[in-house]
Amino acid sequence: MEHVGALPAVARHRPRDLFGPDWALGWLFTAPALVGILGLIAYPFVQSIIYSLQNVRVGGEAIWVGLANYQSLLVGTNSGGFVNSLQVTFVYLVAALAAKFALGLVSALILHAKIRLRSLFRVLLFLPWAIPGVVGAQAWRWIYDDAFGVINLALFQIGLIERPLLFLAKPDLALWSVVAASVWQGTPFWTMSYLAGLQSIPRDLYEAAEIDGASTWQSFWLITLPSLMPIVTITFMLSAIWTTNSVQYVYILTSGGPAHATETFPMFALIQGLRVYDLGMAAAVPLLVAPPFAVLIYLLSRRMLRQDA
Amino acid sequence: MIAWINRKNRGWYLLAYLLLALLVFWSVFPIYWMLVTSVKTQAEMYSKTAVLWPTVATLRNYDEVLFRSAFARALGNSLTVALVVTPCAVVISALCAYALTRLRFKGRRLIARVLVGSYLVPGAITFIATYVLFARFGLVNSLIGLMVAQTAGFIPFGTWMLVGYFRSLPVELEEAAMVDGANRWIVLWRIVVPLALPAVVVVAIYSFTSSWNDFLLPLVLLQRREVITAPPALTYFTVLDVTYWGPIMASSVLMAVPPLLLYLFAQRWVISGWTVGAVKS
Repeated sequence: MEHVGALPAVARHRPRDLFGPDWALGWLFTAPALVGILGLIAYPFVQSIIYSLQNVRVGGEAIWVGLANYQSLLVGTNSGGFVNSLQVTFVYLVAALAAKFALGLVSALILHAKIRLRSLFRVLLFLPWAIPGVVGAQAWRWIYDDAFGVINLALFQIGLIERPLLFLAKPDLALWSVVAASVWQGTPFWTMSYLAGLQSIPRDLYEAAEIDGASTWQSFWLITLPSLMPIVTITFMLSAIWTTNSVQYVYILTSGGPAHATETFPMFALIQGLRVYDLGMAAAVPLLVAPPFAVLIYLLSRRMLRQDA
Repeated sequence: MIAWINRKNRGWYLLAYLLLALLVFWSVFPIYWMLVTSVKTQAEMYSKTAVLWPTVATLRNYDEVLFRSAFARALGNSLTVALVVTPCAVVISALCAYALTRLRFKGRRLIARVLVGSYLVPGAITFIATYVLFARFGLVNSLIGLMVAQTAGFIPFGTWMLVGYFRSLPVELEEAAMVDGANRWIVLWRIVVPLALPAVVVVAIYSFTSSWNDFLLPLVLLQRREVITAPPALTYFTVLDVTYWGPIMASSVLMAVPPLLLYLFAQRWVISGWTVGAVKS
């Protein structure tokens, strides 16, 4: 340590002064995570951008085509399919988020109140979340079955229908069937977030409101809902990213059919990649949809990092 | 809001319990129906009236799935992959989280930023390039390839959750241990991780279930039946337009059992851990 005082010019250039006192260990401990993230998330991300500018097929040579893939999606041969996938995704996203928002809120308000057997009910309402997505999708496919699905059998027994409803085969019904199934699985996450938010609202706010003569309804609008807003914002953004990009419900229930009625953009990309084998096009599809998500991701990561200061 | 459901408020009281009943039905029925279907006889499964409670239960579908199909193999593959991914993901995440919360070095903030950013990059964007990359290294149709991809995919979330928890732990104990001559490695595994055990368990459960449930990566990376994992293999019982519902429901039940058990075993931790990691306010 005496050397530091004697040779200040040298000391300033020691690595620990440049990179911080724990630089060696710090980089050593973060190295495995960084290698994984850079190699298997960042690199594929950058590589997809490159593929989207190429004509690549599985096993074939890559040829630079500039913006031709994007052009084809926006105004060329694939524009019909792409624009359709945007519309489907939009309806799917808005409907699913609205339903999860409402059902999650109602569930959380009930679970947060003093009801009997609260922990049992909480376990029951969270069950769909604990089931693998593919399993939930298969369960719903069976429930929706044309000939032997339980909804059709029940409606038939009551006498409400003469012929079975084709939940997954009728173009104007299929998308709603898929939405319902994915809402079933996705709602518990919202409920969980709301519950965490509700628990953080101080009790005396309600007591004060009650003394001032506020009704249950008023204290809900003036205290509960505004206090939940920060958590709703984060949940909304996370859920928007996951809902849009998850493909398993669509893939298992309808594979994008009938007549592309449920073809969300990840499904469209999957078809381009795994069935048409046009990798450049498959990479271009999600990237073209990415800008609004980039904004979401930027806002969300700023929010998540803010807790860390 | 705490007291909005009480007997004095008869209208709200009835409404709340009515809604609760509907919500329970909505949440539980699909799972119940899957379970009941899996033990029904052919006659009751394909009856023209809905059979809510089977008169005879049979394990024929389970026998079919476990001993006369490729699904048992797929379940085994899933289990192998998840059991390798889980410890790897936990160790790598713990190391990274410790460095980010306890060590001072240049680039720390940048790494934190990269972590959060990559957590939010959707798999729908990267799967094509991942496939090509793995094909180049001969890791397509390889369980090891899938393990590597899933571990990397889980690290951002795992690290992020542990960072939140590690930060809430007091550092005095660690400082005392270091004064006594313990090095960082020992401090991490003997002091920090045991103190953070609830969070570590939650991260382990999440990494297990997210590997077990993963659909997109195995769908893209694995094509040969010997290496397929359970989620894509569930579709094997659908041949062209014919779905063998008995076996499909039985295999679905089998696939749902491990995550369900883990959830029931650790539900309190899992739920609070989830909200701490995702939406800490």
